[in-house]
Amino acid sequence: MLFLQLLANGLQVGAIYALTAAGFSLIFGSTKIFHFAHGATFAIAAYLFHFALTGLGLHWTFAVAVSATSAVVFGVLLDRFMYAPIQRHEGSFFTVFVASFGIGIVVQNLLGSVFGRGFMSVPTPLSNSVEVIPGLYLSPLNGLAILCAIACFAALHFFLTRTFTGKGLRALSENPELVRTFGLSPRRLSTYAFALGSLLVVPGAIFTAAGTGINPAVGHHVMLISLAATIVGGIGSLRGAACAGLLIGVAENLAMWKLGTQWSEAITFAILFFFIIFKPSGFFGRATVS
Amino acid sequence: MLRKTLSSIAFAVGLASAASVQAEDIEIGAVFPLSGPNATYGDIFMSGAELAAKHVNEDGMLSGDLKILYEDSQALPQQGVVAMNKLVNVEGVPYVLSAFTGVSKAISTLAQRSETVAVNGGGVGPDLAELGEYFWNVIPLANNEVGALARYAVEDLGHKRFTLVYVDDPLGESILNELEKTLPPLGAELVESHSIAASAQQFSGVAARVRSDNPDVVYVASYGSQQLQIVKQLRDNGVKAQIVSYSAFSVPELQTQEEAQGALFTTQSIEWDSEDPVTKRFVNDYEAEHDNSPTSYIANYYNAVRVFALLAQALEEQDKEITGANLLAQRKATGTFELVGGEVSFQENGTLLAPIQVLEVDGSGSGKVVSVKTAE
Repeated sequence: MLFLQLLANGLQVGAIYALTAAGFSLIFGSTKIFHFAHGATFAIAAYLFHFALTGLGLHWTFAVAVSATSAVVFGVLLDRFMYAPIQRHEGSFFTVFVASFGIGIVVQNLLGSVFGRGFMSVPTPLSNSVEVIPGLYLSPLNGLAILCAIACFAALHFFLTRTFTGKGLRALSENPELVRTFGLSPRRLSTYAFALGSLLVVPGAIFTAAGTGINPAVGHHVMLISLAATIVGGIGSLRGAACAGLLIGVAENLAMWKLGTQWSEAITFAILFFFIIFKPSGFFGRATVS
Repeated sequence: MLRKTLSSIAFAVGLASAASVQAEDIEIGAVFPLSGPNATYGDIFMSGAELAAKHVNEDGMLSGDLKILYEDSQALPQQGVVAMNKLVNVEGVPYVLSAFTGVSKAISTLAQRSETVAVNGGGVGPDLAELGEYFWNVIPLANNEVGALARYAVEDLGHKRFTLVYVDDPLGESILNELEKTLPPLGAELVESHSIAASAQQFSGVAARVRSDNPDVVYVASYGSQQLQIVKQLRDNGVKAQIVSYSAFSVPELQTQEEAQGALFTTQSIEWDSEDPVTKRFVNDYEAEHDNSPTSYIANYYNAVRVFALLAQALEEQDKEITGANLLAQRKATGTFELVGGEVSFQENGTLLAPIQVLEVDGSGSGKVVSVKTAE
């Protein structure tokens, strides 16, 4: 029964990881920008959801809207006013990384100053588990997180494969110059990538605020997982990042079945090293020759 | 020529007066977590230290104003050493407030080498008592806290099976060691211990493991945001056993956390409604300033600053310089100190010995005392 419990927990955690990792992978794959502040987007979305719900007393649907809007605006503003100027001046990959890393720290401290540096969580009966069969406890949040992840991925798949902008985004990751010949602006597509990538962290941020709780440093862990999942899934592969996020979440939990609990986090890096050594192109990444 | 001479004199007088203004402030340092996930402790510690400094200055205990210079440790040993280096080598303070077991251990070597007194009021690792004569503790250490709680849980509540969830650092290790030593003689057992990384935030899997241990008591040995996350996720995931912990549970966020209600924790015993003038003034002024009841952490750092003021006052009366070495000598020469909680004395190893109280989290902000145990 412990195995089943850990598997159920892993699926919920994995669903959240999959969404955040897909957001990072979408941005990185399309724009080649190492958006380290993706974790900051997650933290902003979580805090503003909490604030809108408990501070302003808004209905949860409005709180979700506030959270989603803040995440998208933050992502787009960063793209327009930080990454675009760096790219215009042909800043290196490292310059982008340092700038993004710095923003992450600024946001962490700002959130701490505004909302307090302690732990917060959204009080909801949805996070309380009930014993569905002897020894197996599930909370409504478990199911909601998984359903929400499935719905988001279905919508994302539809957008990327069936819409003109979605196809443009996929094309941007292949050849930005060719995109221009079809009358699309790489700059505008980059903005769409940031908007969509940032939007994808919102469900995870909300479920985290309600389930495990948040603190200003919550983005670091998210970023770590997103990065690992992007590499394991194959750089540029959304499907890969999603599967890798799910794999990491499940593996983190199942590791506790036979190993000590301290191995839970280490397993993420064990998977990462395994892929780097034995399958550097990741789950669905294409093998490249440099 | 005359103008040049006058300018030189004016400059020299200016320097001298600036120096004399600076000399009026008496500075001590503090290495607290001011950012990161444990920053909430820094705010709590500061509130106690600042209130003490305010009282010292209001009473004119020292020849100049007492000022505390804060440096951020982020509750990390490496950052703590950087902060301590600055306070000792740049600011030249003779007395530094410290917090967190890992940070305290890391800075103790520099304290000893530079003959700077470091005083801990937050870390509870038992080996903090063995860090040299320049390292003092104004808080009872984990061996006292774990022992008192184990005795209460086993003898008064009849619990036998303990599970430990502990952070993988010196503090967590010390609690594990203490439980392994303390429980068997009481007829209880530590059925399982679950180590977690200091950065971990997901504990639903740990909760599943804890449930499968079927314990009577879950001892949570963590701190900061993480301990609140552990408590929430244990309860959310169906763990119904009695949750217990040490003095880290005395932070306001946990005291009002819904899932933590009914949890037990230990601190040194302080009678907040005591009539002794130091305690009464501390409680009244703290409540007036913060609209909240004080906790033991706040009292500890109030006491740490007050100990400095009492020692420095004695040194000034003897026309002695306020240095780490003189403060140490004066502490050894002073029998007892009038601090918050009453008259106390230091043990040979520089650690205060105080009775331990077991409290229940009841939403009041400071907990309800359910038992007081003598320190053993």
